[in-house]
Amino acid sequence: MSMTRRQALKSAAAAAIAGGLAKPAIAANGPILVGYLPALTGPSSSTGVGINRGIQLAVQEINAAGGIDGRQIELITRDTQSDPTKAVNGAAELTRGQKVSVVFGPVNSGESLAVVPLLARTNTPQVHPCWVDSLTDPQKYPMCFRNAPTSQQIGAAANRYVVEVLKRKKVAVISDTTGYGTASVNAYVPMLKAKGAEVVYQGNVDAANPDLKPELLRMQSAGTEAIMPWSVNAGFLSRIINTRGDMGWDVPIVGQTTLGSGQTKALLVKPEYWAKVYPNNFRPVCYATDGKLSGRTSAFVDRLKSAKIDMGDTLLWWIAVGYDTPRMIAEAMKNVGTEPEQVVGYLNKLKGFPGVYGDISFAPDQHNGYPDNEVVMVEANSLRDGAFNLAPGYSA
Amino acid sequence: MVESIVSTGVAIGCIYALIGITYNVMFSASRVFSFTAGTLGMLGGVLGSLFIARMDMPVVVGFLLVLAAGALFGIVTEIVAVRPVLKSLDQHLYVLSTLALALIVQQFTAIEWSTEPQPFPRLLNIARGGFDQQFWLPMLACAAVIVGLELLYRHTLVGHAFLAIAEDNFAARALGLPERSLRMTSYALAGVIGALAGFAGGEMLLAYFGNAPMLTFYGFVPVALGGMGSNRGAVVAGLLLGLFQQTANFLVGGVFASVAVFTVFIIVLLARPEGLAGAAFQRRV
Repeated sequence: MSMTRRQALKSAAAAAIAGGLAKPAIAANGPILVGYLPALTGPSSSTGVGINRGIQLAVQEINAAGGIDGRQIELITRDTQSDPTKAVNGAAELTRGQKVSVVFGPVNSGESLAVVPLLARTNTPQVHPCWVDSLTDPQKYPMCFRNAPTSQQIGAAANRYVVEVLKRKKVAVISDTTGYGTASVNAYVPMLKAKGAEVVYQGNVDAANPDLKPELLRMQSAGTEAIMPWSVNAGFLSRIINTRGDMGWDVPIVGQTTLGSGQTKALLVKPEYWAKVYPNNFRPVCYATDGKLSGRTSAFVDRLKSAKIDMGDTLLWWIAVGYDTPRMIAEAMKNVGTEPEQVVGYLNKLKGFPGVYGDISFAPDQHNGYPDNEVVMVEANSLRDGAFNLAPGYSA
Repeated sequence: MVESIVSTGVAIGCIYALIGITYNVMFSASRVFSFTAGTLGMLGGVLGSLFIARMDMPVVVGFLLVLAAGALFGIVTEIVAVRPVLKSLDQHLYVLSTLALALIVQQFTAIEWSTEPQPFPRLLNIARGGFDQQFWLPMLACAAVIVGLELLYRHTLVGHAFLAIAEDNFAARALGLPERSLRMTSYALAGVIGALAGFAGGEMLLAYFGNAPMLTFYGFVPVALGGMGSNRGAVVAGLLLGLFQQTANFLVGGVFASVAVFTVFIIVLLARPEGLAGAAFQRRV
């Protein structure tokens, strides 16, 4: 049977239309592309490595359970190498090149400060765990959500512990000279004063300064009853702890999570110097006064162990916040689909999503989802399997 | 307080002085200020921790390996970053080439070693006390280097040859001195001194890649204050810098201590641009 040119053109047009119509149907059954911007290498990678273990486990579990309405999650990872420039490049490629449905991360504030404004222009929902206050703003970044505490919540918890639990009124606040350190001191000192504490020492010191005895002597002579250091530099923090120990001064040290890190521990002159050091942490991933984790967290740790995920060289809360992020997005997509506006609409009404790291709630005008009362202080020297005992004074 | 100012101030001053001497030894042989001096100090601490704490080598073996690595890095600096730019000294390209090499090594250390400070081992198995080994080891290292360099420069033929090329490179070559070999030997010697500074001060400064820029910067101050090329000036200025810095830490504290140090630095240079022990520059006409 011969075919005229008109018939051939008609058939080609019909095939093209059919192909064009069929394409969304194929995409709807294909994997859901999720962009992921962790710092897996570079100076700030310890957080990213921990978070990554949780994210990978959650994605494996979701996919093994049939995915989201039959569609698998495909994680497209771009290692930021702890570099904001690479994070920006990765975000641009994920949104414009890969056309992902949602972005997890970046997981460090420095990179998020560069990426959040960029993603806000690409109509892509974003969930990150970074603490810097300005990294959420429902007006400027309506699709960006934080499933972790803000710096304000971190400082407020430490201040609350010093003033209300330890009942210390004369406080020394010290930081290194980094942007994080100075911003923390500037933010937390007025908060302390508002709680009725007297800040008898306030200082920013070069983290490379090998001798902090002058600073601690100045604190001591001012009558300090609690030292609050704000730095992520393990060398700086260990020098404060070592100097306090060498001086035989038993003043409590209350502050940044790094006070309880393995790097800080490795730099201590004597292990007993770690006593009365209370870093920030999060109640759902801490051992209660009976030495046990909560039921939800305990079950999660069992799953980590059965998946042979190492917890000895990282922190449980990093793995937990990583684990919660894909599950929260999967829940949203199961309920309302994968369109950005629908996902954001669902998150805007999220109430008490039961995360291992904490129960997350958002509102249209509140994209900081972590509850205040779950930010607590812990005993630094109680670290085992990535988790700590609650600091003395908290109820069970 | 005075005891703490003196012990810490003199100890850190000795480390600055040794880094200053490292600058000077390289400068004397090549008229180049190699900004790898602080990197050598950083490597002394990091490699000491690597060999002794992480690889469980005996202290003596680790110490000798650190010095050998310092010498090797000194030679590599001469070949890679100094020799190619010697013909155009007036363009000061060495600033770029030596800084680039220093940054490469610093970043490599950050990636391969750690971005966090790591513990440096106790070198001598004696109890911690007031005047601890972390204070007197840098002082001992500084004294040993001063005596060693005096003996080398004043009482050996090689030392005289070093002085000859430092004094007048062209005249020394005209007399048949092997200028290139002497320059490489000088860089190896500087490498040993720089690594020794970091090793002796390891317990105080920790094994940390970030010590490189700090030592490069604070180690240069004794050179500028003491007079370029003057080892005695570097030692005096280094000790004064350490003592003044520690006194400022006690009296004003925080970031103001650094401001005080550099205020004095600028005032001294305004009053005496050639440095405390340097000779005033005389231009031939």
